[in-house]
Amino acid sequence: MVRFKHRYLLCELMSDDPRCRLSLDDRVLGGLVRDTIARVHGTFGAAACSIGFAVRYLNAYTGIVLLRCRKEFYQLVWSALPFITYLENKGHRYPCFFNTLYVGGTIRTCQKFLIQYNRRQLLILLQNCTDEGEREAIQKSVTRSCLLEEESGEEELSDGGEEAAEAME
Amino acid sequence: MSNAKERKHAKKMRNQPTNVTLSSGFAADRGGKHHNGGGKPFPAQKHELHSGTSRQRQTKITPHSLPEPDGNEQSSSKVMFRKKGGWKAGPEGTAQEIPKYITASTFAQARAAEISAMLKAVTQKSSNSLVFQTLPRHMRRRAMSHNVKRLPRRLQEIAQKEAEKAVHQKKEHSKNKCHKARRCHINRMLEFNRRQRKNIWLETHIWHAKRFHMVKRWGYCLGERPTVKSHRACYRAMTHRCLLQDLSYYCCLELKGKEEEILQALSQMCSIDTGLTFAAVHCLSGKRQGRLVLYRANKYPRELLGPVTFIWKSQRTPGDTLGIRQLWIWLHPTLKQDILEELKAVCQCTDPFKSAICIPDSLLVSSQEKSQTELPDEKIGKKRKRKDDGENAKPIKKVIGDGTRDPCLPYSWISPATGIIINDLTMEMNRFRLIGPLSTSILTEALKTASVHTGEEDTEKIPHCWWSEACKNPDSVSLHHRQQAIFELLGGIASPAEIPAGTILGLTVGDPRINLPQKKFKALTNPEKCQDKESIRQLLLEGVPVECAHSFIWNQDICKSVTENKISDQDLNRMRSELLVPGSQLILGPHESKIPVLLIQQPGKVTGEDRRGWGSGWDVLLPKGWGMAFWIPFIYRGARVGGLKETVVHSQYKRSPNIPGDFPDCPAGILFAEEQAKNLLEKYKRRPPAKRPNYVKLGTLAPFCCPWEQLTQDWESRVQAHEDSSEASSPNGKESDLRRHEVPYTSTSEKTSQPSDELGTSRNHPGEPEEVMDTECQGQAGPERVVGQEVSENHVASTGGQLCVLRSRILLKQLSAWCGPSSENSRAAWRAPSRGQQGLTREACLSILGRFPRALVWVSLSLLRKGSPEPHTMICIPTEEDFLQLHKDRHCCGPQESKHSDLFKSKILKQKEKKKKEKRQTRGCAASEGLAGRDPPARQGALTQGLWSGPLPRVTSHCSRVLLGFVTQGDFSMAAGCGEALGFVSLTGLLNMLCNQPAAQRGLVLLRPPTSLQYRFARIAIEV
Repeated sequence: MVRFKHRYLLCELMSDDPRCRLSLDDRVLGGLVRDTIARVHGTFGAAACSIGFAVRYLNAYTGIVLLRCRKEFYQLVWSALPFITYLENKGHRYPCFFNTLYVGGTIRTCQKFLIQYNRRQLLILLQNCTDEGEREAIQKSVTRSCLLEEESGEEELSDGGEEAAEAME
Repeated sequence: MSNAKERKHAKKMRNQPTNVTLSSGFAADRGGKHHNGGGKPFPAQKHELHSGTSRQRQTKITPHSLPEPDGNEQSSSKVMFRKKGGWKAGPEGTAQEIPKYITASTFAQARAAEISAMLKAVTQKSSNSLVFQTLPRHMRRRAMSHNVKRLPRRLQEIAQKEAEKAVHQKKEHSKNKCHKARRCHINRMLEFNRRQRKNIWLETHIWHAKRFHMVKRWGYCLGERPTVKSHRACYRAMTHRCLLQDLSYYCCLELKGKEEEILQALSQMCSIDTGLTFAAVHCLSGKRQGRLVLYRANKYPRELLGPVTFIWKSQRTPGDTLGIRQLWIWLHPTLKQDILEELKAVCQCTDPFKSAICIPDSLLVSSQEKSQTELPDEKIGKKRKRKDDGENAKPIKKVIGDGTRDPCLPYSWISPATGIIINDLTMEMNRFRLIGPLSTSILTEALKTASVHTGEEDTEKIPHCWWSEACKNPDSVSLHHRQQAIFELLGGIASPAEIPAGTILGLTVGDPRINLPQKKFKALTNPEKCQDKESIRQLLLEGVPVECAHSFIWNQDICKSVTENKISDQDLNRMRSELLVPGSQLILGPHESKIPVLLIQQPGKVTGEDRRGWGSGWDVLLPKGWGMAFWIPFIYRGARVGGLKETVVHSQYKRSPNIPGDFPDCPAGILFAEEQAKNLLEKYKRRPPAKRPNYVKLGTLAPFCCPWEQLTQDWESRVQAHEDSSEASSPNGKESDLRRHEVPYTSTSEKTSQPSDELGTSRNHPGEPEEVMDTECQGQAGPERVVGQEVSENHVASTGGQLCVLRSRILLKQLSAWCGPSSENSRAAWRAPSRGQQGLTREACLSILGRFPRALVWVSLSLLRKGSPEPHTMICIPTEEDFLQLHKDRHCCGPQESKHSDLFKSKILKQKEKKKKEKRQTRGCAASEGLAGRDPPARQGALTQGLWSGPLPRVTSHCSRVLLGFVTQGDFSMAAGCGEALGFVSLTGLLNMLCNQPAAQRGLVLLRPPTSLQYRFARIAIEV
């Protein structure tokens, strides 16, 4: 299909400071990444990456961020991400770093990966959990997500074919 | 970003999870919870989840107003959240201290929420494409679009939903039977019979429906034109080979009674003025077919009913001594109702007549009989059928003839006084028309005269007892042999035009299916086959003798038995397959059907000088039920089939009026014109105003219909006005007498408006023909004119100024002589044969005008140079300058009409604005005001941009050239090689024009199509 091809970077924001998450906002995040690219790759890099760059999804609770950029220059963005060491908002600086989980061609593949990833995380959490009450709570949430998966499990499987039609910007 | 773009984006993103930031975290959490199956719908959730932009705004506001949502938040998860005091403490985080410990449950919950949100996004289809379009090419299958099961199973559910949506849009298709059941013979027959109930099907309907564009017209389903591109091919077939048409939709009315009685009754309906009547010698003997136009009783020349053809049954028939004659009147279905009513009135046939011959009865009887005879077949059919079909098994029979007929209505009427019986024989016979020079050879190839029964075997078991009866009579046998001889002679004739017009030949032929050729081929004339030149010459000279016109088709009982005893195609094919030598001739012997047919020669072009006899051919009359049995053999001999369009083309090239479009004075013609105007207007309105011609600017007042009434009235008042003005301006007697005639004519042609000016011009340029005439007529002109006027007034008073079409042959001949170009030499030449005719004089014109004050004349026009006219083209009178220009430059195309201004455009604009304003007002105001404001928009509905609205102004003087008439048929004529048109002009206008034109250029007119400003020269001709 004739379209602009993009790359989607699924990243996880890791921070020790919970307040860092608080100030997480797509505008802030976008600015931060842009600045970093400009710092690392210079004006050329900043200009090359600014076309089609966007923060597609952001979850402050889990720290999941989905960045979009053009396929030609995604490596510039990718290589710039490790250089983000702090998040600045309203005069506060919170140290943090980005952990790139996945690089995908469509939003859909990233979402699928995220589902797998989260599920895995939950299981790990369940295994490592020691507290009885918490264990129960986690179990509940795991089953909840799994139940939903069962409901729509078939449909989820069906999405493999739909990637071609997925023309998200 | 434009609004539409935004919407599109929103649509695309509707299924995507939105950002979850801490400040608005509750919402997301709530949303997530909802998805998790918490089942607690929150009112705020919906709009929060919807668009990212609104979310953005909210994030900005919420940090300050955070406690409030907190307060009314009773979500369980929230409560739990708070109690535990998770590591991310919600919106109050800024105010709170850093939590002391981290709980895994919140962490897990956040993950779970995200999973569910993502799952939802992933599972939903986001694009607009259909499901199967998402599959890669190699996995697609042809039937996927309608058969869900062709899709991979994982997609079937979604596809099902999609299909349901689409099904509602599609037409509901009855599926009470499967395809196989629907195709089964009995069910198909049922279905066909059902579909024939509304519109009559011809017997060749199925054949036509596969190859033609079908239209429902006049209560029939008729083929309009072939689906293949064949305009030129059909023309070639007409000219060089053979074109076949199914004219079975023509109606036949039968009159039975004493000859004198019928003639007396019918003489009221026709006039000797228009040509030969029912009493013409050749026709009355039954030798020829006649054609005439019928009027309402004693109303000639007004109230036309329509043109008909008729045949008398030949007198010399065995057992017809009482003087009872049979007359068939064939007419177009649109005219049938009027003519039938009038015939009944004229013959005083009021009582419905029931007898053995009566058609509805015979129909019923025959159907019952047939069902009895075909009992074994029926039983076989029943076995296969389902039970619910059992009840209606009996009426399953192919409908032959008129399927729409109501058996309760009478189709036969008798007059108690005169004993005349009128039968409606519509659809009781098939009528095929073969046009073209090869039609005779096709007929002789396809039809073989029936073999005479030797009479040894007993006649009881043979179904065709009528034929064996006839064979016992030596008279009829000898007659049959004579007919056979003449029919064989026909094969040696090059073209049917060589035979006298309207010749009738009766025949009894064998089953034409038996000698059907293996392959389609083109039958050619074979002059070597017929060596008997002498008898051919005699045939051409004398025509077919009267006795040979006899045919058994006149006898209803025989026709019925022939229809019933037809061997079905299936049986015939079975017998053929049982032949010992495959492909050899099938010999049925006495079991072969004998079919009485009637061949009628159709004269082609009978008027005019050129191409005489073009388009001549044969009409074949067959008893019903035998249509397809004859149709296929004709086609296998190389006949090409045409539809209604070819009929129109045929009549146009023949320069004969087409029924019913070219009879503007008969009810059917008026109806036709109205319908045509409606259709054209609809078609016109479908285009946007910028993409359609603006007829107001083009000066076309009536682009979709021809306002005959107004045209004739305008011409009448025009002539009168000029006469009055001239009389008023010149008091002295003798001079006024002179001018009275000169002035109107010259002034009309020059189109000057001031009377003084007219006088001057008339004195200055007296046309040369006028000079001659006036010297002649000075004396008598005065009184005669007065008489003429009186007569005309009487006519107008008596008929209410109705228009009529001039059909008097004498007057038409005179007019046609006047119309020709007349240089001195040629004038003498063409005058010589017609000594008795008057010259083009004033008094002659006036006497004609007196008798026909508002008459139209049928004219044919051929263009001098370029241009192909179309229907509704205007016929105009050229001015003197135009002639000068034509004289100077032989290659000039003609004058141009200057562009008119659109008076209505501003009006339309104003009304549009007004409407808008009113809309605004009514929106604000109460209903009472809206009621008042409703009137103007209704009026505005009539206004269409580009069309003249309201009553038409004077049609004749609207453009720079004076309007004379309109074209009803026009196209490039392949027969003549130039544009040709047929139409009507006002008689008053025509005479006016002829008087004023110089002799050398007499008969030249200008044609202007409705969509063009260009006038083109054409020559007018009246062909009688």
